[in-house]
Amino acid sequence: MRDRIQAAVIAAALIVLAAGVRADNTVTLLNVSYDPTRELYQEINAAFAAQWKAKTGQTVTINQSHGGSGKQARSVIDGLEADVVTLALAYDVDAVSTIGKLIAPGWQKRLPSNSAPYTSTIVLLVRKGNAKGIKDWDDLVRPGVSVVTPNPKTSGGARWNYLAAWGFALKKYGNDPAKAKDFVAKLYKNVPVLDSGARGATTTFVERGIGDVLIAWENEALLAVEKLGREKVQIVVPSTTILAEPPVAVVDKVVDRRGTRKVAEAYLQFLYSPQGQEIGAKNYYRPRLDEVRAKYAQRFPAVPTFTIDEVFGGWTKAQSTHFADGGIFDQIYQPGS
Amino acid sequence: MRPDRIVIAIAAAAMLLAGRPAAAQAPPAAPPQSLEELAARLRQLQTDLATLTGSAGTPAGTATDGHAGTATSIEALRGELDELDQRIRVLGRQIEIDKEAAVEKAKTTPVVVASPEGFQLKSADNNFQLRLRGYVQSDGRFYPGNDGPIVADEFLLRRVRPLLEGTLFKFVDFRLMPDFGGGTTVLQDAYLDLKFSPAFKLRTGKFKSPLGLERLASALDIPFVERAYPTSIVANRDVGVLLFGDVAKTTVAYALGVVNGATDGGSLDVDDRDGKDVVGRVFVQPFKNGDNEGLKQLGFGIAGSNGTQRGTILTPNLPTIRTSGQQIFFRYRTDATAEGTTFADGAHWRVVPQAYYYNGPLGLLTEYVAASQAVRRDEQTARIGSSAWQLTGTWVLTGEKGSYRGVAPTHPFDTKSGALGAFELTARYHVLEIDDKAFPVFANPTAAARSAKAWAAGVNWYLNRAVKIQADYEQTHFEGGATTGDRKTANEILTRFQVGF
Repeated sequence: MRDRIQAAVIAAALIVLAAGVRADNTVTLLNVSYDPTRELYQEINAAFAAQWKAKTGQTVTINQSHGGSGKQARSVIDGLEADVVTLALAYDVDAVSTIGKLIAPGWQKRLPSNSAPYTSTIVLLVRKGNAKGIKDWDDLVRPGVSVVTPNPKTSGGARWNYLAAWGFALKKYGNDPAKAKDFVAKLYKNVPVLDSGARGATTTFVERGIGDVLIAWENEALLAVEKLGREKVQIVVPSTTILAEPPVAVVDKVVDRRGTRKVAEAYLQFLYSPQGQEIGAKNYYRPRLDEVRAKYAQRFPAVPTFTIDEVFGGWTKAQSTHFADGGIFDQIYQPGS
Repeated sequence: MRPDRIVIAIAAAAMLLAGRPAAAQAPPAAPPQSLEELAARLRQLQTDLATLTGSAGTPAGTATDGHAGTATSIEALRGELDELDQRIRVLGRQIEIDKEAAVEKAKTTPVVVASPEGFQLKSADNNFQLRLRGYVQSDGRFYPGNDGPIVADEFLLRRVRPLLEGTLFKFVDFRLMPDFGGGTTVLQDAYLDLKFSPAFKLRTGKFKSPLGLERLASALDIPFVERAYPTSIVANRDVGVLLFGDVAKTTVAYALGVVNGATDGGSLDVDDRDGKDVVGRVFVQPFKNGDNEGLKQLGFGIAGSNGTQRGTILTPNLPTIRTSGQQIFFRYRTDATAEGTTFADGAHWRVVPQAYYYNGPLGLLTEYVAASQAVRRDEQTARIGSSAWQLTGTWVLTGEKGSYRGVAPTHPFDTKSGALGAFELTARYHVLEIDDKAFPVFANPTAAARSAKAWAAGVNWYLNRAVKIQADYEQTHFEGGATTGDRKTANEILTRFQVGF
């Protein structure tokens, strides 16, 4: 009797254990990205999933999370389980690496072009007719011009916007930081509302009808023109602007814990492939590959640009000088002013 | 822009502003009749807006700059109106952004909850939780016709249990529950659950042994003040490791573990022997997810344990069995000598088939326990079997559904509305029998009864989810257990006032 009871209990346990085990050939990734990349990664994800399925037989589902780049980085540091981050600027990925200790140092050297598979730049989007006659950055500081740009404290795109304006002012005023500060302060006095991300700022300008000009990613501006039509908005390319290099990185600790490193790395490498670059260009991101760039040359006119390293000494210095608590942005911008 | 369009636009702006607290106090204005009135109204709106937004005056570059408060032309009004329109749009957008920010903040803000389920503190993602619960049971025990010091009527605090539960890093649960009932301190539950998935959870610590159906029900939910006889011969709490979970879309619950091995009806904190008990239970609710409401709460299963139990003269590790009123009617011989004390000495197993069925207000619960324990008294040994079963019926009079987890009143007690809560009638019959081989060598037939058969009836009043009042009457008939004939029939009235959250 005793032996039979023991055998029955063990058999029941084995049946239960067997029922709980299931063979699984699916994998999910979470791509935590910045605000305006929704459409880009929807297309990238579908293309990569098809390629990965054909190559490995495994079904990959890539979930997306979007928001202001700085806010997204904070979410990952605070526990959002991103397999990859595709953020607006290297500083935010650095934060995930140095503060969150989730990405190994030297991440920027793991992929070509400083881990930035595509570039963009900052342009001005105005309403049809350009009633305020906006042609360049210095038109944005005129009294009566209402400027829409997101909050540099939370948005990577907004930081690019700010630095593009600052770089223009430095050039205009002979590298005088005080005059550049005054210029940017005047510009932000004309900003009636600060959204937390670039997509929110586009909503403010396009859907809510606020402001005379939107400072925007080139891709976001081109997308707005495509959706609304040239009869409603038009792009003004300033005399000089900044070259934005949004980086991508695998979140090492997460992929190692989840066992998704192989597919996550393949996902980011796909961004550099001809197919990935083509999708990027279709979504208005400037491609790195020469042949794709040549194909879309008309879409992306040559613009005089400067880099953050050239003018600001890199992201770390720019961040601490301009956007850290008590930095220049805090000095020149007071909410409600 | 035509004047009538300006009037419409201003009226729309005024309506927007009228929704704001400051403007809400002003009486509705009559439509402007002239350009001058329009201009005056526009300026008033600008002033109201400036007050609402906290900004001073109108911003530079507006149409008023060039007119010094005397704007009377259509063009000037158009400029001012555009300015006003922009400011209202900004205000509206700012409210949207503030709402979005509030939603985002809520995603990371810890949540404090005070509810009938207790008090709770948790992170926004629920990965970290701390729940403070607890319950108190204040009982009365009365023995009509049995006067005297041995079975004195009494009031007592049966259970006083603060309960701390929580979750750490999403997949670790813990529970800590001491009991101060009866003026003593006992650690009832103290365990950690590692939740790999709903189907695979690993529990370590001190916990209820997965054997008896009624034992596994919370003390807050049992239909009678005290559990029936089957609970007397299954383990209470034990210390060990338990793999458990729900499979087959939660229709099958399983548990399989290795524990120190508690005595029948007992709890165990430490073990001084190597031999461990294997315990297991499978419980099936085949129609739980089906459409047939009448079968959803049908559950049945089987549990068992197998191991060795050894005691000593000073710690015999054998059960003492009591009536519901806690009168002892069976115990093995013990006098602290080798010749006069029976103690556990070998194989100990239990088999526990069990089932319940609840349909609407009616409920039935039944279980059977067959147990065997090898015992020794001096040079004499034997395997003593014991068995117990119960059949318990419940009927909720006030229309609520009965369940294994108690009754939730549809209309909680409220003197103002006249709501009474829920009432439940209960009845049960339960039997316990001890192997004849126990007598007279291992148990004294003049003091220990061979069997007990009891019937009971009771009423439960659920004032709300937290408060329950119970009253039971139970009559127990014994076989043996007296110097001559049978032990006197026990008549017991048990009451309980319970507060649990």
